[in-house]
Amino acid sequence: METNEKPAALRIEGLTKIFHLGRNKNVTALDNLSLEIKEGEIFGLLGPNGSGKTTALKLILGLLFPTSGQIEILGRDHQDVEVKNDIGYLPENPYYYRYLTGPEILTFYGRIFGIKKENLEEKKEELLKLVGLYDKQHLPLKHFSKGMLERIGLAVALLNNPKFLILDEPTTGLDPIGSRETRNLLLNLQAAGKTILLSSHYLSEIEKVSNRVGILHQGKLLALGTTSELMTQWKAGDIEDLFIKVIEWSKQS
Amino acid sequence: MTKITYRNSSIAAIVLLFLLLSPLQNKIDLQRKQMGFEQRLLLMPGQITGSLILGGFKGLAADLLWLQVEELFHSGQSYKMLPILRSVTFLQPKFVTPWAVGGWHLSYNISVMVKDHPEQEKAWIQAGVDFLKEGISYNPERYDLYFELGWTFFNKVKNYAEAVKYLELACKFPRPDYIDDALAHAYEKNGQIDRAIETWKKIINSGNSFSPTAVRMLHNLKTYGSTIVPEKK
Amino acid sequence: MVKAIVIAKNTFQEALRMRSYQIILVFALLLLGSSQLFSFLTPVEQLKMIKDVSLSGIEFFSALMAILASMTALRSEFETNTISTLLSKPLKRSDFILGKFLGMALVTTLGVVIMSVVFIGLILFKQHSFEISLFSALFLIWAEMLVIIAITLAVAAFASTAFTLIFVFFLFLVGHLTSYGFSLSGEMKNPVLQVIIKFFYNIIPNFENFAIRDQVVVGGTIPITYLLKTFGYGIIYTAIALIVCLYFFRYREV
Repeated sequence: METNEKPAALRIEGLTKIFHLGRNKNVTALDNLSLEIKEGEIFGLLGPNGSGKTTALKLILGLLFPTSGQIEILGRDHQDVEVKNDIGYLPENPYYYRYLTGPEILTFYGRIFGIKKENLEEKKEELLKLVGLYDKQHLPLKHFSKGMLERIGLAVALLNNPKFLILDEPTTGLDPIGSRETRNLLLNLQAAGKTILLSSHYLSEIEKVSNRVGILHQGKLLALGTTSELMTQWKAGDIEDLFIKVIEWSKQS
Repeated sequence: MTKITYRNSSIAAIVLLFLLLSPLQNKIDLQRKQMGFEQRLLLMPGQITGSLILGGFKGLAADLLWLQVEELFHSGQSYKMLPILRSVTFLQPKFVTPWAVGGWHLSYNISVMVKDHPEQEKAWIQAGVDFLKEGISYNPERYDLYFELGWTFFNKVKNYAEAVKYLELACKFPRPDYIDDALAHAYEKNGQIDRAIETWKKIINSGNSFSPTAVRMLHNLKTYGSTIVPEKK
Repeated sequence: MVKAIVIAKNTFQEALRMRSYQIILVFALLLLGSSQLFSFLTPVEQLKMIKDVSLSGIEFFSALMAILASMTALRSEFETNTISTLLSKPLKRSDFILGKFLGMALVTTLGVVIMSVVFIGLILFKQHSFEISLFSALFLIWAEMLVIIAITLAVAAFASTAFTLIFVFFLFLVGHLTSYGFSLSGEMKNPVLQVIIKFFYNIIPNFENFAIRDQVVVGGTIPITYLLKTFGYGIIYTAIALIVCLYFFRYREV
């Protein structure tokens, strides 16, 4: 056990999720995952599509229910509704009520968070400027591009000034400039003391911001550590090389 | 709360609420019975009315059937009309119009079609009387069918004692003005002249719209001993 | 509870945007059409039929609206996955369901009120008066809608769109027929069968309780005690359906 000066923002122990898809047909989406993310850390969950990343994030958020295992967020049980006051979540391909405009979406979620009206107006303006949608205030979401949806999703995720951010594929819909902006934003958020858990299959994106990464394949956590540690350990030239080596190894064994 | 305790307590709550519901349903059933709500089901497969009944729209089904009855009558298919008329009164026995109009069809219209056979004519008139009596058994709290039946006895059967009996019953409920006049005429025909005079006097005193008629009738009775003015020679 | 109201408001607005109220237009046309259609009848018959058509129409179209809109309100959250953004927020699942119910109740109430106003207007125009008992019929139609909304939400919480539609419409029909079935069962000799029928009679929602239309249009009056009992029945059944809804939804994976 490591000795850390900082407490864990997220502690996962023996997390397993089996989906029952009819008679005698079970899929193990997540197999005995144990993981600890320290406060103030940016953690990248890597893995190809279908490796169990989204399943893991949804389990943490209480959208799915674990077959077995424990999850603690900021020292509290993750199923405690109050914990979610401290969590920001950006789903993969975020989708919100199509007829609402950006500010309306933020008002709606602000009310769900129980944010007071006078604070909310200020916060909305700040966030819309931050994600670059301030000049699109009157446009309903049904006219938003994928990248714009991603941005409004990020604004929603930051609405409650969360201590812990969970971002599922945060850069999928974004162009290179948008990706870079997001990356800088994440580093700024980290500097503000937030813990960030993000998942991606864009390896280089993750490498640039993450303190530590975990490589997930077929529901199993194959590797865990800082990128430099892992690259030395696996004798890999870059992160893509590392990724391929880890997955090849798991196929052989 | 774990999943199992949550689910168990949900089930307990559901069972408890159903246990509350059961006696309430019994009370509702009892009150429906007291209010005379009929539990009647008439299945007419393949017809739109059948679907309506299944959907709980009995009144609407009765309306559609009633429109059919009217159409059949006006196109002269009186016999074909009868079973459908029966369906209407079965579905919604508190719908008075079909009883009233149906009784009239039987006693007045169908009976005339067979007037060459007096025994058949009599049977159809009687059928109308029976039909109205059945209607009354479902609607004893209103004047309509008492009047129809009384008038059938007066006008068609010429049994004035029975006419008086039913018109008197009709006058026990809120009614249009002409009912009292009809009763007075029935009294006269039945030989109860005193009651006839009394009834017309009441019509005059109560501001009934038939008071001019009543004045004339009383005058005729005094002058000629009958309401019917003898023809002048 | 505050959060349930936020959800309710949003549900209501979404339903307005889905144009749930277009169905009322069909009702208005039907009503106006029928009042012309029956003009060859005597005034008494005509009024009776207009009342029948109107009250049946209000019940049917309200039910149609309640079922379609409630189903959409819940299923669209699943299908577009807005539910996952909602439930990742500090929102209790029970508040979500309560909010959906209250929102749909508001949508349907407004629908019933609009149709009732059209109906009352027509009757006042034709008859120059409006019987209080007709209000009783409208009140119980509204109470019936609460039950239908809750049942639709309960089924939609675990079943597919197609299944929900078929099941709830089927239940709507069966719920109007159970009292017949039950009154017939009185003539059965087999005691086991009688117990079984009694059981189902108490489980299946008895929509016939709310049907006083056929009595009201022929001049019957409805005692207030009956209205209270039936309303109580509706509320208890609604509560049951909402608990069932939450039973399925509480641990539903989204």
